[in-house]
Amino acid sequence: MTEAALTSDIAVGKGRSLWADAWRRLLSRKLVVASLIVIAVFVMVALGVYAGLIARDWSEPVGPRYQRPSLEHGFGTDFLGRSVWRKTLYGAKISLTVAFLASLISICIGLPLGAIAGYFKGWIDELIVWLFTTVNSIPYIILILAFAFVLQGKTLFGYPLRGISVVYLVIGLTSWVGLCRLIRGEVLKHRDRDYVMAARAYGCSRSRIILGHVIPNVAHLVIINFSLRFVSFIHAEVILSFLGLGVKGEPSWGVMIDDARQELYRGCWWQLAAATLAIGLLCLALNIVGDALRDALDPKLRQGLE
Amino acid sequence: MVSYIIRRLLYAIPTILGVLLITFILFNLIPGDPSYDIAGKSASAETIAEIRRELGFDKPRFLDTEALSQGRIAAAFDSQFFNHFRNTLTLNFPRSLTSHEPIWDEIKSRAPASLTLAAPMFIGLIATSIAIALVVAFARGSWVDTILVFICVVGMSIPMLSYILFGQHYLAYELGWFPILGYESGMQAFKYIALPCLLGIASGLGSYVRFYRTVMLDEMRSDYVRTAFAKGLSSPRVLFKHVLKNAMIPIITTLVLSIPFLFLGSLLLERFFSIPGMGSYFLDAFNSRDFPVINAMVFTTSLLYVLGQLVTDICYALVDPRISLR
Amino acid sequence: MNDLLQIRGLCTEFRTEDGLVRAVDGVSWQVNPGRTLGIVGESGCGKSVSALSVMGLIPKPSGEIVGGQVWFKGQDLLKLTERQIREIRGNEIAMIFQEPMTSLNPVFTVGNQIVEAIKLHQKLRTRDAWDLAVESLQRVGVPSAAERVYAYPHQLSGGMRQRVMIAMALSCHPAVLIADEPTTALDVTIQAQILELLRRLQAGERMALVLITHDLAVIAQIAHTVAVMYASRIVEYTSVEALFDQPLHPYTQGLFRSLPRLGQKKRRLDAIGGTVPNPLAFPSGCKFHPRCPLGCDDKRCQSVEPNLRLIRPGHVLACFKAAGYEDSPPCDIPTQAPTEVSNG
Repeated sequence: MTEAALTSDIAVGKGRSLWADAWRRLLSRKLVVASLIVIAVFVMVALGVYAGLIARDWSEPVGPRYQRPSLEHGFGTDFLGRSVWRKTLYGAKISLTVAFLASLISICIGLPLGAIAGYFKGWIDELIVWLFTTVNSIPYIILILAFAFVLQGKTLFGYPLRGISVVYLVIGLTSWVGLCRLIRGEVLKHRDRDYVMAARAYGCSRSRIILGHVIPNVAHLVIINFSLRFVSFIHAEVILSFLGLGVKGEPSWGVMIDDARQELYRGCWWQLAAATLAIGLLCLALNIVGDALRDALDPKLRQGLE
Repeated sequence: MVSYIIRRLLYAIPTILGVLLITFILFNLIPGDPSYDIAGKSASAETIAEIRRELGFDKPRFLDTEALSQGRIAAAFDSQFFNHFRNTLTLNFPRSLTSHEPIWDEIKSRAPASLTLAAPMFIGLIATSIAIALVVAFARGSWVDTILVFICVVGMSIPMLSYILFGQHYLAYELGWFPILGYESGMQAFKYIALPCLLGIASGLGSYVRFYRTVMLDEMRSDYVRTAFAKGLSSPRVLFKHVLKNAMIPIITTLVLSIPFLFLGSLLLERFFSIPGMGSYFLDAFNSRDFPVINAMVFTTSLLYVLGQLVTDICYALVDPRISLR
Repeated sequence: MNDLLQIRGLCTEFRTEDGLVRAVDGVSWQVNPGRTLGIVGESGCGKSVSALSVMGLIPKPSGEIVGGQVWFKGQDLLKLTERQIREIRGNEIAMIFQEPMTSLNPVFTVGNQIVEAIKLHQKLRTRDAWDLAVESLQRVGVPSAAERVYAYPHQLSGGMRQRVMIAMALSCHPAVLIADEPTTALDVTIQAQILELLRRLQAGERMALVLITHDLAVIAQIAHTVAVMYASRIVEYTSVEALFDQPLHPYTQGLFRSLPRLGQKKRRLDAIGGTVPNPLAFPSGCKFHPRCPLGCDDKRCQSVEPNLRLIRPGHVLACFKAAGYEDSPPCDIPTQAPTEVSNG
């Protein structure tokens, strides 16, 4: 009973919400702010490409073929005399579109499945666990290639699947397992907490409890998971496009690497370098922000004093 | 121990059946009849019928209801669905559409090359990562730590393709330190796998070191480490004896997670360095739309993965005294 | 410096993301052979950090000792090299911790862990070290010790694990044992057993014991002198008799009022109002003034921090409101504690 009087935690930063606190923490680190700016720039470029403001004439030759990077030719030119710089900018559109839509699909599958499995337990849970164990036991790259192989050229609700749509569909359909498992575990922990019990006692419906009470409490996991997963989506797009299963007729970074493979033996390294730099920079920024988000949003990881 | 392994094998059965179901959906249901694809547009009706027979697409999809109504139970199950399960489970894959060789023979003949590349890559990657992570954990909080972690994050941001292309071009083609591509079996193999192996390790190192560092730092914060220091042990002793053995538990549980990375690595590296392994087989099958091969590879790799999980679980139980094998 | 272990004006700081935290601020205490010093206070008040500072176990680089001395057998431990302090750590000054569940390494047998400590500080053959490990387990009352040495920590109960920790700490016959909340995580009956064990071992070895706890009942059972800590500082420091007889600091008084007593008719216990101050933003003046029942409207309490003064023989205190505080000389360790004079 003395304990009740004596033990009360040092609440550092109490009174602020989790999100506001996390945001403040993010902004207090220069590297994170720089990374956020980098990501914002990439997003702006992608939107610019969509709006037709940036790199619209990427397919036009701007000079002779195989020009080295210089003041005149920017990042140099490729085997058709096109500007590597414009292609790189255009690639941002493909990469971010794929990563964004794949995330969306992945969340739409993983979040509800995980929440349902965790909340209902029983045979529904076992079925979902079986499903993701099965999907998970096929090595990711094999699964993604097999899906791409099968879906290529098919139609979905009358909408032909080719190019970029195959890429995000395939990545989205194959990458929900991690999130599903995470959410299931977290919901399992939350479902017996007092606030869920209370909601149940008030007579809330199950869907209301899941949507209104449980999911907001695990939402931060979705954000952390996807800020880190984005990177693997971008890398997956590169590999799919490189293997000829993805984007065609548009300069994605994977396509650029594929083009660069031939050029390399002529000593033309710049297209590969430009694509690598673009991917590296974006993924670096995403990794840094993802890590910072995890540190900021996951209070378990914060270090205490004693 | 034996009963534990048997139990774990039983757990794997639903997973394997699930994989079969997925491959059936992928390769039999979604594509419909691939015979026209394979035979080409100008093929004659006989050719198509031939292909259909060879692939078993002339059979009913799930159940031969006609045979069932006639009471021929065995014949009733002679359907695409059951044949798929039966043939795949018994590794009785059909012949390849391009080479017309039995797929399983091809896989067996290519496995050694894949293993020659993947095994050293796997061991090298794990060992190097643990060693660097120990150094980083030892220097935690210092500028060495900060810089190494940053390098790791940079390393994991760069796509593997760039490592391979730059490495192959500069280290092999320009500098001539390694053969550009090719493969020979036997002792000569090491000459050829050296560069792919190094590139595979280099591209994986960033994420592995960073992950193992987190694992080690988590361990270093735990109470038993404080106890060990309170005894008067030196930092290296605490690190190498107490932290390392505890860190091995999460490290071993995640070893199986590196299998997908190994497959990806093998796939790309085998293609770029013309190593006649399973990865290049898979990619070739892709380009020639040889779907029985893809089907077989999906199943085989899943089987390997499930086996890998089993081995992991056993290692886990061996390291952690809190897990009993019974 | 005739005292066995004496810390003077110790200051330890932690760098956190939100700023610098001074977890220990000018703390002094001492302990002598055969004596027990109890350090009592709420969690986060710095009592554990002061003990960890003595051991040189402050987590680096976030934590740092920024001032003070730690005198042990005539030398300042803070001036020793890491190698020198390692020879003292675990050998002459040993420490046991609050969580017997996690303080033992789960992947080694308890024997292995005790032998490790023994072999580090004593030149013994492995077999002799194992014999000694069994012996030290027997000494702390572990039944069938010869078999238990081969047990893993998870195979033992909490009380047994704490006994193992004690056996490990005492295996090199240290001059000082620091026990950081050794009974907090245990059941009440086990608590009593462990405390009794500590007292018996201490008497047998004439060992000095520093006992850190938040529980006044534990202090009453085992301590000779008591230091009460609040918000990184010692606010009252005297013999256990004097403290239980007449606590002078309003915070100490609050602690006593929050204890349940037999035969008392009151329905409710008095808790101390308010919460522990945030170490990032300590109140100005006396850190206790916002919670002080004697009135926080006093200008001086709000602006000036009271230092420790010898208010009575053997009784130091930091409170402006105490009678006679103004005329008392500054003093941070009650060297002429009545019990020390009469018994020691």
